[in-house]
Amino acid sequence: MRTDTLIELLARDAGPAPRALAARRLAPAALAGLLASGGIAVTILGAIPAPMFASHVPWTKIAYAGALALATGWLNARLARPAASADAPRGLALAVFGAMVTLGAATLWAEPAELRLSALLGQSWKTCPFSVLFLSLPTLAAALWALRDLAPTRPRAAGAAAGLLAGSIGAIGYALHCPEAAIAFVAAWYTAGIALTGALGAALGPLVLRW
Amino acid sequence: MNADASPGDFESGLKPLWLRAQSGDAAAYRLCLELLAARLRGFFKRRLVGLPDAVEDLVQETLLALHLRRGTYDPELPVTAWVLGIARHKLVDLWRRRGRRDALHDPIDDVAERFLAVDPEDGGAKRDLDALLRELPPAQQRAIVLTKIEGLSVAEAATRTGASESAIKVQVHRGLKRLAARVRSVDPT
Repeated sequence: MRTDTLIELLARDAGPAPRALAARRLAPAALAGLLASGGIAVTILGAIPAPMFASHVPWTKIAYAGALALATGWLNARLARPAASADAPRGLALAVFGAMVTLGAATLWAEPAELRLSALLGQSWKTCPFSVLFLSLPTLAAALWALRDLAPTRPRAAGAAAGLLAGSIGAIGYALHCPEAAIAFVAAWYTAGIALTGALGAALGPLVLRW
Repeated sequence: MNADASPGDFESGLKPLWLRAQSGDAAAYRLCLELLAARLRGFFKRRLVGLPDAVEDLVQETLLALHLRRGTYDPELPVTAWVLGIARHKLVDLWRRRGRRDALHDPIDDVAERFLAVDPEDGGAKRDLDALLRELPPAQQRAIVLTKIEGLSVAEAATRTGASESAIKVQVHRGLKRLAARVRSVDPT
């Protein structure tokens, strides 16, 4: 087929380009992932006792992970487009992370020195990052699937962004199960789980995001 | 506007045309693709010195990718930067498929300079898109042939096949998507 013929074929009756394609692909992926990870956290891992929802415990985590999910969702939308700059969403994600670390360090500092380590490690520091990773897998699959229909030209970066978004959403789900109360715990181990998912996404990106 | 305008002029001439194409003007879209094809050919020819036979195939592959992903264009960006991002991606993909690594070292940023070369001469594709089109599932193939080759409107194609209009549109889109995927897996040279 000659190139002219192909152009004719593509242009004929092409109609308008789909609008806001990145948002229309990524938002349902994120939403489906959120429902999946929340559902698994509540049904398989078990929810925290109901009275705890009146305390700050789950809400601090959800606010942190939710803010990260918004920033990294924006990052995905940028990396899904050739030539778009990712600086602003990356800066926002780092600012959210920085604020949480500062808050965690401040609360830790306020504790008596001999209690600091146990506040930081809690009861579940060893399992927390892996639980977050586990709960983020549905979103990771959905986000990578969504990116394949968009145009990520930096597959490793886009894969990492998909992983960070998935990790943030997995962390929201995990907040429904996790009874740890220390902000420093969340800043350290939730973030570790999100970073772990980001690393998995970065490893998968070049393999999966081929088009 | 000519295809051989300088990069800055090329962008300022292309952008309004492209925006009209994005909102559904098929004639503007055809013109954009023609102008871009000439630039892409020049771009690939200079980078595929050892593989002149692959140039036209890569032009066609990039045009297909542009078309399928045109929803990712953001009006804030220069059209040429967006197109070039996709062209570079296709080039890297070609090198990777051929087992060459790090064959590409040019930076992404200096868009204008790298989109200078223009080549309106279709050097002939090696890969036979017509043959690949015939390998598509019958419904997709039929939807593409009716609307894109015989030139029926979507409504006419719907009446002819008994499918709904949205089904025809979906079949065309899926067919082109599958065609683009097949194109990547068939390396002719």
